[in-house]
Amino acid sequence: MMRIVLALLFALIAGPAMAQLSTSPGEVMRGAVNNFIRPAMTDFGGKADALSTAVAQLCTTPSQANLSAVDTAFANTALAFGRIEAIRVGPIMEENRAERLLFWPDRKGIALKQVQAILSSQDESATSPETLRSKSVAVQGLTALEFVLYGTGFEALNTADGAFRCRYGLAIAQSVANVADELVAAWNAEDGIALHLMKPDATFTDFRTPVEAQEELVGILSHGIEAVRDTRLNPFLAKGAAAAKPKLALFWRSGLTVPMARANIDGLQALYDLSGIDGGVPADRTALPVAISAEFAQADAALDLVTDPVETAVADPAQAQALADVVTATQQLGVLIGEQLSSALGLSVGFSSLDGD
Amino acid sequence: MWQRRAFLKAAGVGFAASLLPQQLMALERNELVFASSVQTKAGGYGAVLMGERGDVITTLALPDRGHDITVSIEAGRGVVFARQPGTFAVVFDPAGKEAPITLTSPEGRHFYGHGVFSPDGRWLYATESDFEAAKGVIGVYDTRAGYQRISEFPTYGTGPHELLLMPDGKTLVIANGGIETHPDYGRTELNLDTMDPSVAFVDRTSGELVGQLRLDAGLHQLSIRHMAIDARSRVWFGCQFRGSASASPQLVGYATMDGEIKLIELPSVTLLDLRNYVGSVAASSDGSTIAVSSPEGDLLVAIDAEGKRPVLVETLRNGCGLAPDGAGFVASSGEGELIGIAGSREERQQFDFSFDNHMLRVG
Repeated sequence: MMRIVLALLFALIAGPAMAQLSTSPGEVMRGAVNNFIRPAMTDFGGKADALSTAVAQLCTTPSQANLSAVDTAFANTALAFGRIEAIRVGPIMEENRAERLLFWPDRKGIALKQVQAILSSQDESATSPETLRSKSVAVQGLTALEFVLYGTGFEALNTADGAFRCRYGLAIAQSVANVADELVAAWNAEDGIALHLMKPDATFTDFRTPVEAQEELVGILSHGIEAVRDTRLNPFLAKGAAAAKPKLALFWRSGLTVPMARANIDGLQALYDLSGIDGGVPADRTALPVAISAEFAQADAALDLVTDPVETAVADPAQAQALADVVTATQQLGVLIGEQLSSALGLSVGFSSLDGD
Repeated sequence: MWQRRAFLKAAGVGFAASLLPQQLMALERNELVFASSVQTKAGGYGAVLMGERGDVITTLALPDRGHDITVSIEAGRGVVFARQPGTFAVVFDPAGKEAPITLTSPEGRHFYGHGVFSPDGRWLYATESDFEAAKGVIGVYDTRAGYQRISEFPTYGTGPHELLLMPDGKTLVIANGGIETHPDYGRTELNLDTMDPSVAFVDRTSGELVGQLRLDAGLHQLSIRHMAIDARSRVWFGCQFRGSASASPQLVGYATMDGEIKLIELPSVTLLDLRNYVGSVAASSDGSTIAVSSPEGDLLVAIDAEGKRPVLVETLRNGCGLAPDGAGFVASSGEGELIGIAGSREERQQFDFSFDNHMLRVG
């Protein structure tokens, strides 16, 4: 609470000065693309390549040390993806890339069943990225790789007995790296999605004006925060009389559930901050960016309190409360960004739209 | 004057007598009566029954955000459905004389926001989700038994949205949007890679499939959501595209009970202005003109149903609701505006609430 009071006080003092720093939609989009999206995509591409290399090393020389290196590389890759996961525009929306990277939510446990079938039948066609590509999207990405690395039978990976499992894992890692490289290439292209967002043009089908591009940015922020709540937290948290179901959480096996949610939120905050979109808020609404930053800080502070893996965290009242507080923060951010920021910027991302009804 | 008289007939004998003096005055000052879900400035949700001059005749508080409204002259009732994935529907007396009844969807079902009465007002049909099975169902409610849900039948697809009664009075046409959602995951769309939208014609008495039409396989991410029926019983539909923003497939088409389904060719500038999103579809009173709206693109388009080409394009910020008003259409917006287009004499008005996505002409 004190934090918010201080933040509001700061807004009152800083208000007039901030009002002079009006950022244009074009500047905001350049900030979003050049300061956050492109570097974050490149980072993800690098982490995915490193994962692929680490799995190859494990397959060549199975050992506990090499398996640990894979674990680290997997976490790095997943979290790097978590930071850009909300950028659902451009190449990620083509060729089912989003689903091929991370098939989630998986309400019916499709990925688990299909991955187990591949492992038990030792399906050789799953061991090269080319043939894996023609299979279900559920067996090609990080959800599948997490089961290979942490699911029942993973111990075999550090011995020769795990050869098939490792080769399948390698094909997944390579597939993820391929998709990541495609994203990096598309975002760094001179005439692609980055140009369309930064320099919209009447001849483009997707973004014709700076306002349309900025609406996309606000949509990414708003949908992104909603997705963290609806797909990463709420599904497994206790609700009323219903007990928590931590095994419905993404990446519960690898202990990355909460780090992934944090990566999602951190990525959204970085996109918000680095785009400079707050600079476009009119002088009489400067308390709004302050409130948004305060709410991101609340989410971060609550996440700090969740120190255990998700299965034990939900059983500890303090950590369960902290997770509920993160949900509350995402609800607040949804209203602050999706409704208030959108309205303060004069964008058409309002009551009737942004929802698909 | 026929419109007001039609509404009075719809509301039943004694309706006018039951109104408070200011409601009666509001009704007398207006030729047309419209209904829409709204959000108040304070953030509350409700539904309003209002005249074209902006006089509010009746308001109804809702527990959460509403979506479409359907009214039956014969049943003497209207129903507001919760926006998906809501679990309530409120049956109301347009005169506000009888207390509203709140229906709750049964365990394992939620509403999709649309419904329709049978011609005799006996049955109410609502699009619902059997979300564990990821299948659409039509819930059937008996209006003479306190709106008890007596049965259900399939929509023959996933993610049904709007449904309408065909002019034969027997066949329901259902827009299966194709998108799977589950309340555990809020409004997250769970199957964008395997969407299978369709238009289904279903016999409302037997629940049997009469016919089902799909667009080309390459258009499987084109979610068919809203519909209106023209003078020749063609079902016009508007779509929302869930693929990449860099693609811009056609969004408006028509389907017939003879098995034809076709997208019409909107000029590219109009199509791009729709931003891959049609929020509602309406037919003019004579069924010769179809209007579609896009709150994403702030655009309203009126289409000549015979010529299958746009005859008017109008901008309305956050505009979505559409209803016939005789000569043309009224359109409403999330910014609280109401305007007339395509021959409507309605003058632009501003309200202090946000209109939801759909506007219904009651009388």
